[in-house]
Formats: sequence, structure tokens, C-alpha cells
Amino acid sequence: MKSARWIRSWRGSCGESLAAPLSVLLALAFIALLPAFLLGCKHSSTQSESGASGEPPRDSLELVFTYGSEKEKWIREVTDRFNAEDHRATGGKRIFVRAIPMGSGECIDEVLEGRRQPHIISPASAAFIKLGNAQSQSKTGKDLIGPTENLVLSPVVIAMWKPMAEAIGWGKKPIGWADILALSRSQAGWKAYGYPQWGQFKFGHTHPQYSNSGLISLFAEVYAASGKTAGLTPADLAKPHTGEFLEGIEKSVVHYGSSTGFFGRKMFAAGPQYLSAAVLYENMVIESYGQSNLAFPVVAIYPKEGTFWSDHPIGIVQRDWVTQAHRDAAQVYIQYLMQRPQQERAIAYGFRPGSVDVPLAAPIDTAHGVDPQEPKTTLEVPSVPMMDAILKLWAEKKRGADVVLVLDTSGSMNDDGKIENARNGAKQLVSLLSEDDRLSLVPFNSTINWANTDVPIRTGRDDLQRTIGSLFAQNGTALYDSIDAAYQHLMQESAGGHDSRILSVVVLTDGEDTESKMQLDELMRRIRFDGETHTIHVFTIAYGSDARKDILKNIADATQANTYEGTPQNIAGVFKDISTFF
Amino acid sequence: MSAMTPTSEGPRLTALGKIAIFLFICACILGAWYLFTGKKSLKDAIPGSSSILGGGPQVQIGIAYGTEKQKWLEWAVAEWQKTSDGKRITINLIPMGSLEGAHAVIGGDQRINVWSPASAAYKDIFVQEWQIKYNGNPILREEPLALTPMVFVAWDERYQAFAKKYHEMTLSTVHDALQEKSGWAAIANQPEWGLFKFGHTHPNQSNSGLMTIVLAAYDYHKKTKGLDVGDVVDPKFQQWLQELERGTSGLSNSTGNMMREMVLKGPSSYDAMLVYESVAIDYLSNAEGRWGKLRVIYPEYNAWNENPYYIIDAPWSSPDQRKAAGKFLDFLLSEPIQKQALVHGFRPANTNVSIRFPESPFVKFAPYGVQVDLQKICDPPSAEVVNNLLASWQRTQGNR
Repeated sequence: MKSARWIRSWRGSCGESLAAPLSVLLALAFIALLPAFLLGCKHSSTQSESGASGEPPRDSLELVFTYGSEKEKWIREVTDRFNAEDHRATGGKRIFVRAIPMGSGECIDEVLEGRRQPHIISPASAAFIKLGNAQSQSKTGKDLIGPTENLVLSPVVIAMWKPMAEAIGWGKKPIGWADILALSRSQAGWKAYGYPQWGQFKFGHTHPQYSNSGLISLFAEVYAASGKTAGLTPADLAKPHTGEFLEGIEKSVVHYGSSTGFFGRKMFAAGPQYLSAAVLYENMVIESYGQSNLAFPVVAIYPKEGTFWSDHPIGIVQRDWVTQAHRDAAQVYIQYLMQRPQQERAIAYGFRPGSVDVPLAAPIDTAHGVDPQEPKTTLEVPSVPMMDAILKLWAEKKRGADVVLVLDTSGSMNDDGKIENARNGAKQLVSLLSEDDRLSLVPFNSTINWANTDVPIRTGRDDLQRTIGSLFAQNGTALYDSIDAAYQHLMQESAGGHDSRILSVVVLTDGEDTESKMQLDELMRRIRFDGETHTIHVFTIAYGSDARKDILKNIADATQANTYEGTPQNIAGVFKDISTFF
Repeated sequence: MSAMTPTSEGPRLTALGKIAIFLFICACILGAWYLFTGKKSLKDAIPGSSSILGGGPQVQIGIAYGTEKQKWLEWAVAEWQKTSDGKRITINLIPMGSLEGAHAVIGGDQRINVWSPASAAYKDIFVQEWQIKYNGNPILREEPLALTPMVFVAWDERYQAFAKKYHEMTLSTVHDALQEKSGWAAIANQPEWGLFKFGHTHPNQSNSGLMTIVLAAYDYHKKTKGLDVGDVVDPKFQQWLQELERGTSGLSNSTGNMMREMVLKGPSSYDAMLVYESVAIDYLSNAEGRWGKLRVIYPEYNAWNENPYYIIDAPWSSPDQRKAAGKFLDFLLSEPIQKQALVHGFRPANTNVSIRFPESPFVKFAPYGVQVDLQKICDPPSAEVVNNLLASWQRTQGNR
């Protein structure tokens, strides 16, 4: 159990330094969400540092603003305009805002760790401010962020293709998690609802240890199982019904992932054969209406049992590098964001405005799949011990994963420390898999070498680490044959009644195929995702500059997976991100 | 003799005279320098000197005030700066929760010369604590600035459903609704509304939270005066308070922020809360653009929040600062400024200012339930009662 192990290891290292029980509780809350905080690490390597483009004018006062990337398009537009206009600070200097999008957790984490010195911060949820301040209080006796106000809001919803939502009664009756459970448990899938052509119900939410919306999904499922909207107790979790409810829904999860945006984009691009529904933010449903090639419209289901708000608080950092001049300038910028023209632009991006002076308007309406009169009720954030217990229960009940790791050990991997860093990254993947997962290890060069097959992580984690550590590089690259072999192995698993597990191939290669018998076209034909019989995902890592990024992207796209550009420097982070899908 | 020899005629300067003129010119240059570089007070620059400007010395005063009247006070300060007194008396507004302000003054925060909480509910405790630390009466002069009672504010649809079962909204019926384990399913056969969600601010940090538990005690004992410690420690009341408070959510330190959250997040966050009438009035129009109509309901047992203005007899306040604080108080009580308080939903303390005219919020928002006349007004409780109520409330919180 990844969660339990990870929490134990934290307790061992940090628990003694926090004397007061309240501090321990708050710090535990912070740590419970720490993976979500680390989520941003991945983003930071890919997000542009010049969130608001351009260089500061000479002799200007520069404000660094880090914020949750969910609202990137809006912030980018209005900040660019702010910088283009002539806004002056108290001392007369022109204000320039450098807005940098990232994971909400990282906004907080990098200040606490001293990696960046921002002046203003706006994560996606007030929970991050609370936890950041608690952590800062325990370290320095001071808050990290001052008083905040909500820039924009967006509720967490279940986004579903409209015909599917209508098939379960959307528009005629309130829909809840119990309906999602019924769909997940239906052996006949959509056939039971009169739509055999839609196949099985396929559901998605992000990894609860890495993403806010994934964690919230679990809370909502547990609340729904208990019939409560507040005051969850250990007794609620101990009831067999709660575990069965959770397991029933999680069984239909296609895979997890670190990014809510990833689920949204994949769902809209790949259509209903890939995902029937996913837990997203309301603004993403609205945003989907801007896409021209959607299979069907998407609608937001506000679970009748209740949901949570993403409320985007903004506040000024309480640290020595923030001078009075910075604070005054920050106020000017925050006031600008809260003014009607900017707030109305937020509505255009699907957010509900944070200024109470701005009424809701299109596109926050039924024509864009959402209901401005929802949600009807919200759920109480569980206590920290309950969060811990829910994560443990999830680790027990989630879908297990069967992963085949296909690692290139051809001679070119000897260059630039590639093999050494790839070994370390692969070890990291093994360390992050759950106890109920299984891993097969397939190093390949001119030939395919099955080093380990279907090793249970619970008992074989150390052996797998040792095997990975012993790999060395030589000979050519039989890439396509290796991918096919890994894929066919999992197909046999699936045929043997293991279709309740998440089946994935992870491929790392640093070059072009040189020795396969199989042609690329044939491989693509054999692995293409069809939503029913071919559902195995092939995650690909183009490692180094000689890898064929185009081919690897096509392979990942054809199997509804993700592709990465890896280097010896970032490969550990890449494997870490892949682990969030299981 | 030519006219070119003036030295032989008229008065001649002595060496002492020359020094005096030199010193005078230096003083003028120094004075001009301080004026142009924006130093606020010549008095600071030349210790012991009095002002060379007319109308009195340059003075700064700090006012710690409850944020519920922020908009009105900021407007008043801007108007004050246009007056002749406003040119020499600088007002520093220091927003603080009502109780936070009291703690700051007692803690010796020298920025504060005036404390203006939302009500007098915490006054006796403030005076007691001051006397322990400094002796004497801490309040030099006090006047109410503007009045506002407490009101329930609820989403109209949910209020109608509530009233159908309980007939009226009081802290007693709110208590009963909070005890329904299935929430709105039992109250109005509306399970999709979830639990009944009631909020008030933190009694230890915000005056309106303190007022809520004071009114809860009056409501429970069905009296308007003579609330004593015996009433507070009554085991039945303790049990009742525990039931009420265990079901309550929110506990923000700012009434305005809580009301704002209710309007932003709608009935999913709160069905009802107890706030100042002025705060409710401020948000009635905004709410309609979001979630629909809000309803204002006056509790049967109510109390005035008179927004007192206390000029503090603090050792760090100079005579000029005390005088300046008085001048600004007179300005706040003048008719034009009091009329503006009405715009922000307050009832003017200056009785010459009418509240019954067509544009008055008390007329305009009457369809929302806003009314001029109140039912039972309760006396401010003693310090002992307040302390015991706060301690009782703290016990209801358990591990929250």
C-alpha cells in the first residue's frame, strides 16, 4: 500500500519534531496532500516561465505571481493587458507582473522550500492556503500567505457525454454517485440502459495522492456511501458497504493520472469510446463547447450527494522579500483582476466570477452543459485522520495494475549517462507502484529478454529493483517486436479474466528501431485502442535527442496514453508522472 | 556725499543680529525642506515646537475599527481630507476584528488612539483588562456612530420551506433544524439540499459571533435583561448550546467575508446565517445576480450593534491626538456623513437623519424583509456573563 508506506515513512522522519497535537494534525494534513503539492514538479518543466509574455520595462517594479494552472488562459490574457497598460505603484514606478502557472501544490511548496520568491500566490483551492500557512506556522511561527479573496470559482463535477447522461436520467432527476456505482457494477455495461453500442461504462478521475480533484472524488464517493454530507467517522469507513461502494466505482476507472486537464483533454479528443465520464472542474465542461470536433456535447453532473468548490484564493506572500512597495503594487494588480472587465473575461473562460458585483452570465448556462443554480449542497472536508483513512481504504480497493516495463538496453544507451539514469528512473517507478500491482520487466536490444514476468509488487519489489540495477547496454534496437510482445502478454492476461486490472505498457527507448521483424504499420494495427477488446495503454518515453518522437507519440496516441520527452536529467520525474496513472 | 555710501547711514547689524538672521533663514530652509519632502509633522522634526501653520498642529491618529463599516469609514476619511481640519489631522484606518482591536489596545499597540468595535458587547471585558494592566478608565469619550441589529439572512426558497415547518426563524428553531440528522429531507422533503447549514462568525474573534451566542442565551431563557452567570452555566442551556454549535459551520473571523462566501457559493455553502443588518443589506442585490433572492428575518430576541467610537485614554496618545480624535468623531456624526452611513445599510446615530424615504434601503429592501421596527431588544451582558459564554462556547467545539 503506497499510501500507508509513504505516510509511515514521513512519520518516521518528521513526527518527532512536532510537539503539539494540533501541529501534528495540521502537518499531517499537509503531508496527506503533499503528493498533490509535488504534482507541480512535472508541470514546472513544461510550463512557460513567462506566463505573461514580455520583459519588464526599464525601472519597473516586478511582481512574481505563481498560480494554479487551471486558470492559465484567463490569467495570461488579463495579465498581458495589465502589463501593456500603464499601472503605477505608490512610488510612481510602473508595475510589471510575471505570472507563472504551475500545480497548486507547487505554488506553496516552492516558497516553503525557498525555490522561488513570489510576491502573490493563487492556488486552485483555499485548502492549499490553509495547509501552507499551517506548515509555515510550524516552521517559522508566521503565516505564508496573508488574507485572501476568491478570484474565480468552479465546482467539481462529473463531466459526461450528454446522450449517456440522458440515458441515466440526467435532466429528469438528480443524479448522484449511486448512479455511477450502478453503471460501474452493470456487467452488461450500457446495454442495461438500452445502448449496447456504447459498450462498458468507462470512468476517470485523477490520482488522489497527486491531484486535488482525485482526492475530492474519493471523499465524495465515501460520503455517498455513508449517506452523510459531514462528520465522517472511522465507523463509517469500517462498514463493509463503504468499501464495496468505493471498490464498485473504482473498478470502472480506466486509469488515474496527475492532471485533471489531461483527463479533460483526452476525454474530449478521444470521445466516448475512451471515457464515458470523468471528474473535472465545471469550467472545463464549458471550455469543451469551444471545440469543433466533439463526438457529442458534454454536460456537468452535480452529484446529488454534494460536491466541493475550487475557489481560487489570491493572497500576498508574507515573507521578507515582499516589501511595502510590493504589497501596494500587489493590491493594485489584485484590484485590477477583481474589476468587472477582467471578471467578465473569466466568465468567458467558464469560471464563476469572484466579485459579487458581477452577475453570472453566458456561457455559465445550460446551453454550455452547466447549471448556474447548482451545486445544491457541498461536502465538509474530512478531518486529517479521516483523509488518511480514506486514502488507505482506496489503496485497498482501487484497481490493481499490470505493467510491462519495456526498457531499451541497446548500445547507444551507454552515451551521456543514459543507462544509469534510466535505471534510477525505472527503480523509482517500481518504488511508487502499489502493493497490489504487478510488474513485468522486458529489457531489449537486438533481442527481447523477459527478465521478470508478472512479479507481485507486494513480494517482489526488492527483486525488481535489483534486476533493474543490473542492466547494462549493448547491441541494436528491436523496438517494435518488444512492444508487440509486451502488448500480447497483457492481452493474454486480459483474456484470462484479468480485465478488472489496469493494463499498461511503459516503453523507454533512445533511438530508432533497427532490428524488428515487425513493421510499424503492423504494430499500430495490433495495438490500436478500440474501447472494448484493445484497451491496453502504451506510454512512451522518447529518451534523448535521437529518439523518434513522432513515432513514439503516434504509438501513445493510438492507445490513448501519454508520451514524454525524457532526458537523463528529468527521467526520474517522467517515471514518477507515469506512476500516477496506476 | 554720494548716495553710493549707505554704510554711513541707517541702522547697522550687530554680529548677534547677523547670527539671528542666519538662523532664521536656516529654519525657513529646513521648514521648506520638510514640507516638500512630505514629512508629516514639523512637530516630529523639531521636538517641543508647536506648529507654525494655522488651526493647530499636524497630527496623526490611528483608528482600529471593525471591518463591517470599512466602506463607509473609507469614504468618510476621503471627505475629511477635503476639510481644513483634514489637511492637518491625518486619519489612519486600521482594519481589525472588533475583539482583535481590543486585544491590540491592551497589548499596547501605539498606532491606535481610537477603538471602534461593532458593538459594546466586549466593552466591559476591555475595561476590566485595561484596569488590571494600566489602572483607570481607558475610555476618554464614547459615542455610537451608527446602529445595526442582528438579522438572519437566508435563501428565500429555503426560508419558505423552513417556515412551513417551524413557522418562524429564531435561534431555537435553527437549533431544532440542526438536530435533523437527514437535514432538509426531514425539514422539507428536499434531500438534494443536504443538511441544514447555518453559520455565524467565530465568537472569540468577531463581534457578530459573540452577539450570536449572547442572543442564543437570551432566546433560550426567553428574557431580554438580567442574563446572569447562573443562566449560562445552567446544564440544560449548556446542552442546548452544544447541540446548536455542533451543527453550526463557518466560524470565519469576518462577518463580511462570511456573507460574501454565502453569495459566491450559494445555498451549497449556507442556507442561513446570523449577521449584521447592514451587511445583509449590502449584499441583497448582488445575491440576486447569482442564486436568487435572499430573505432577511429579524430574530425575536435582538440587540443593537451601535458601532461605538472610543477615544482611548492611552499613555501614548498626546493631547493633540485626543483632541483630533474628538474632532473626527464630531465630523462622523455630522448629517452628511451620517447620511452616507445609511447608504451602507447602517441606521444613523444622528437622529436628525431620516431613514424613511423612497431611496432609503429600509424602504427599497422592504420586499426582502428589511424593516425598521424590531421586536425584543436585549441588554448588553456583563463582562462575567460574556466570559462564561465564551468559555461555554469553547467547550462545544471539542476537537474542531
